[in-house]
Amino acid sequence: MEADVGKGYARFFNGVSIFILAMCTLVMADNLILLYLGWEGVGLASYLLVGYYYKKPSAVAAGKKAFIVNRVGDLGLAVGIWLIWVNYGTIEFNTLFQVWQDMDHGVGGFDKSLIPYCLMLGAFGKSAQLPLYVWLPDAMEGPTPVSALIHAATMVTAGVYLIARTYPLFTLHPDALATVAWVGGLTAIFSATIGMAQYDFKRVFAYSTISQLGYMFMGLGVGTTFGAAYHTLTHAFFKALLFLTAGAIMHGFAGQLDLRKLSGLRKVPGFKIVSWTMLIGCLWLSAFPYSAGMLSKDVILVQALGGKDHGFVWLGWIGLITAAMTAYYAFRVWFRVCAGPVFYMPGEETHDDHDAHHDDHGAHATAPTSTTSHEFHPHAPRWAMNGVLIVIMLGAFATGIPGYMEMRGESNWAQVMMAHSSAFAGSVQAHVTDAVNFGMNPHQLVELFGTIASLGGIAIAMYFHLLQRKSADKLRAWLLAHNSIRWIPVAMENKWYVDEFYHACIRGPAWIAGQILHFTDKHVVDGLMVNGIGRIPAALGRLFQPLYNGVLQGYATTMAGGAALVVAWVVYRWLTSGVAA
Amino acid sequence: MIQYLLLLLPIISALVIVLSSQRAAKWIALIGSTASLIVAAVFAVQFPHWTTGGFWPDLNTSPILGNFGVDLKIGVDSVSLLLVLLTVFLTPLAIAGSFSAITTRMREYYAWFMILEASMLLAFMSRDIIFFYVGYEFTLIPMFFLISIWGGPMRGPAAIKFFIFTFLGSVFTLTSVIFVAVRHFDSTGTWTFAIADLVKFSSTQLSAREQFWVFVGLMSGFAIKTPFFPTHAWLPLAHDQAPTGGSVILAGVLLKLGTYGVFRFALPMAPIGAVECSTFFAILGIIAILYMSLVCWVQTDIKKLIAYSSVSHMGFVVLGLFALNPIGLQGAVMYMVNHGLSTGALFLCIGMMYERYHTKDMEQLGGLVSKMPVWSFFMIIFTLSSVGLPGLNGFVGEFLCLMGAFVAEHDQPAGYPGVLGPWYAVVAAIGLILGAMYLLIMLGKIVWGSLREPHGQEHAQDHAQDHGQAHAQHAEIQLPTDLNFREIAILAPIALACLAIGLYPKPLLNAVEPCVKDALVNYPAVIDQYNAKRGLVNPGAPVKQAEAKP
Repeated sequence: MEADVGKGYARFFNGVSIFILAMCTLVMADNLILLYLGWEGVGLASYLLVGYYYKKPSAVAAGKKAFIVNRVGDLGLAVGIWLIWVNYGTIEFNTLFQVWQDMDHGVGGFDKSLIPYCLMLGAFGKSAQLPLYVWLPDAMEGPTPVSALIHAATMVTAGVYLIARTYPLFTLHPDALATVAWVGGLTAIFSATIGMAQYDFKRVFAYSTISQLGYMFMGLGVGTTFGAAYHTLTHAFFKALLFLTAGAIMHGFAGQLDLRKLSGLRKVPGFKIVSWTMLIGCLWLSAFPYSAGMLSKDVILVQALGGKDHGFVWLGWIGLITAAMTAYYAFRVWFRVCAGPVFYMPGEETHDDHDAHHDDHGAHATAPTSTTSHEFHPHAPRWAMNGVLIVIMLGAFATGIPGYMEMRGESNWAQVMMAHSSAFAGSVQAHVTDAVNFGMNPHQLVELFGTIASLGGIAIAMYFHLLQRKSADKLRAWLLAHNSIRWIPVAMENKWYVDEFYHACIRGPAWIAGQILHFTDKHVVDGLMVNGIGRIPAALGRLFQPLYNGVLQGYATTMAGGAALVVAWVVYRWLTSGVAA
Repeated sequence: MIQYLLLLLPIISALVIVLSSQRAAKWIALIGSTASLIVAAVFAVQFPHWTTGGFWPDLNTSPILGNFGVDLKIGVDSVSLLLVLLTVFLTPLAIAGSFSAITTRMREYYAWFMILEASMLLAFMSRDIIFFYVGYEFTLIPMFFLISIWGGPMRGPAAIKFFIFTFLGSVFTLTSVIFVAVRHFDSTGTWTFAIADLVKFSSTQLSAREQFWVFVGLMSGFAIKTPFFPTHAWLPLAHDQAPTGGSVILAGVLLKLGTYGVFRFALPMAPIGAVECSTFFAILGIIAILYMSLVCWVQTDIKKLIAYSSVSHMGFVVLGLFALNPIGLQGAVMYMVNHGLSTGALFLCIGMMYERYHTKDMEQLGGLVSKMPVWSFFMIIFTLSSVGLPGLNGFVGEFLCLMGAFVAEHDQPAGYPGVLGPWYAVVAAIGLILGAMYLLIMLGKIVWGSLREPHGQEHAQDHAQDHGQAHAQHAEIQLPTDLNFREIAILAPIALACLAIGLYPKPLLNAVEPCVKDALVNYPAVIDQYNAKRGLVNPGAPVKQAEAKP
């Protein structure tokens, strides 16, 4: 995406190379310290690449935020590593799981049951789950290929990987996996609500990434590590595809990301491949029947609905509702941007001057520029971009294969691979067919309601965003007109004010504390104590006026020497008397 | 004899500098300090105890102070040698970093600098406590002049505060040392100031109460030098006002004298005292980490920010030291070296920026990456090293210090029970978040963003008043927009060292390990006793106690 990257190719590819190195270290590490190295390394790459457009204050702030919020999670991971070391005496995976198998060999320590929760915190930070998800939407400030590679396909799934890798340890506390599942499920529905109300479609995809990651954690939590890993795989392809199509559109329309200002792109010359690959991405994202996205999502939902305790059944229903919302917001983007009458407004980005970047990514976009579609000629993506999109689309198709085989009851490589990994050891992998809701077993249930959710979501999106576009605005106006329900659209569009909440409740007090402490340091510790004590010799000096020679060093020597003599004498007397007695 | 050569080289260079011309001074200093570096490298290659612990060379010399057993014994173990290497590595770089900044009284400046190097080396290499003390104290004098002559606008008060503060503290240290020596004389009838003898005597023969006070006395000096939390007041001003070279040495090496003192003297000499005080000092360390991080956050002056961050970082060292187990002590030693490298380099970077813009105010200056990309590259590397990013050196020490505190519980099976515990590490680890926060905010202001430059100061046209007299006599050395070759040659070796230590710390950790175990030899038993007094029983301990009693 040449225009996306702009000047500084070297810096860009340095960042990407650091990322690939760190990510490989992360997944290939055989011990937790090396994993931690990769973990922070991908964080560094993310920091450097999100802040790639360094002249844009919002990009710099986003990079910083990503790193700092991730640090909160890293703290959890670090504490988890220490706990593992204290309790098991090793941080190497193989030895660790061996020791775990001959459990409880008498090493007491800080409570073992905290280990899964600490690791969880790390995973939630890296994978943008509920308390710590706030950095990921902002990370979309980076170049779009970075969003596709790092913030959709690979790095953000590192948290899922961590939990899968250390899965046996999550049996150390009975509620640990349930916590993972619930955080995942709640994150999924929570971020879906935000995704439904964003106008910047790159942000929509960002929130959908958070939501899909929520599904993965739900899968881990309810006991299907296969489902989680498989969803990671399918999601990597279709979400990367969606981000790259978004990048192609940004490239073509001078950075335009507002889905209200673009329409009917499939009829704009040169944007056919973009539109149709985006459609594939949206279908996969909305779990269209028999797409790879549906196959992987269903594994998770079936397991959740078949769960017996921890309210997993409810979680399954949350997952189904989220699936409908997902289908809605995915096709809200597609119908708005790619279907309908041809109409477009360029963004404010000019290719030769990056100083002209403006932060127009808020929900309330700034006033459109005076350029109209008549004067503006979109840059159609060339074969390089189109080729990339097609390759990834083929990959998205291919990810369906293990799912089909699974569905037909054949053993497949993905399943076999999981069965031989630590992620399988200690997992519940319960048989779920006996649980019954509405007279149906979970498989039938998910098949029926999953299809309804997916098609229903698409249908609603089609009504509001293709057939009757006015009615969407009417609905919004109607919601805003009623005081009792006004908060729904307002909160959703403003991302439930979570950023503002964090800013007010964490950053604010810490900042004030910093100011107070700085003041204290300057005026109390230094001013009162140090300078106050420093005045004593001067005062003494005035008493002994003849000795007053005006050289400060003289006071120093006098003061220090005198103090030392006195102290030495007292201590020596007291100690020797103590020894004698 | 190479060890004496190492000590004499800086002194000889200082003498030559005094006799030479102003113009030649900086080159002689550079050559002299580079020669020291080479000699130290040869010394390090010859050093036989890298993995086995122990001192070298082991020479018996005769006392030079008559009847009192004061003896110029020079010898190092691997911890001392690491700090010696840090010193001789940073000194030529700091000297080269002063080339364009120091334009007045150059002979004096470089002569004092060489004297400073000599006294630091003496402190690290001495095996006699009196000579350690001489070196330790003598660093004050050159540093006092460096700050008070070539410093910023507030240099006078800064230098005086620095001097009085640290001098006052070390007087208590000396008192403790003399007390131990006197007690040694009382019980054996001979005078000695050899570190090994005094440590052995003090740790085994002194009563608990005596050890406590010896420890408090020693610590009051080292705590100010390090500095520990409430005694840090001299540091921000001194760092801020010192010239770049002075700041580099002050942060890079002089602060380590304090923690080195704790490691070499306070901990081995008075195990009982150390155990009793360990929670107190660990809490001070944690307060330093958190409190200083918050203070750093609100700084607008970048040099002050880094100065305060030193206090915060030394908090990690304190925590590692008072974990009182090999992990924590290894971490503390690693942190000393790493902090010397990364903070020294940060001060160098800031100095280079200051020479171009004559301001350190982050409100006026920012977005330098578009004007000085090479400088920004180094700035980012050293900041990330300071943040403790794995793969760079800062992480190694930080992680081990925290881990040391974490595992320092009473019932450790590894044979090193401790007094602290997980909560100390967890609370201190909040410093990881805060550290990332203030340092990345600093990067965001100064490196990233759109270019901001002070008004009317495009390029060093009007020199700041504090260098006014210099400007009158000497032509300003014109610097290019970005770093010149000399400046890159200063920063690149440090960056490489940071990367090398970060990626492969094992040789250093192996080198430190035996020394750390020597320093901690009395601790498991003492800690078990202390914990037993608190009602905490180590499952492995009763056997050891039974052995120890008869």
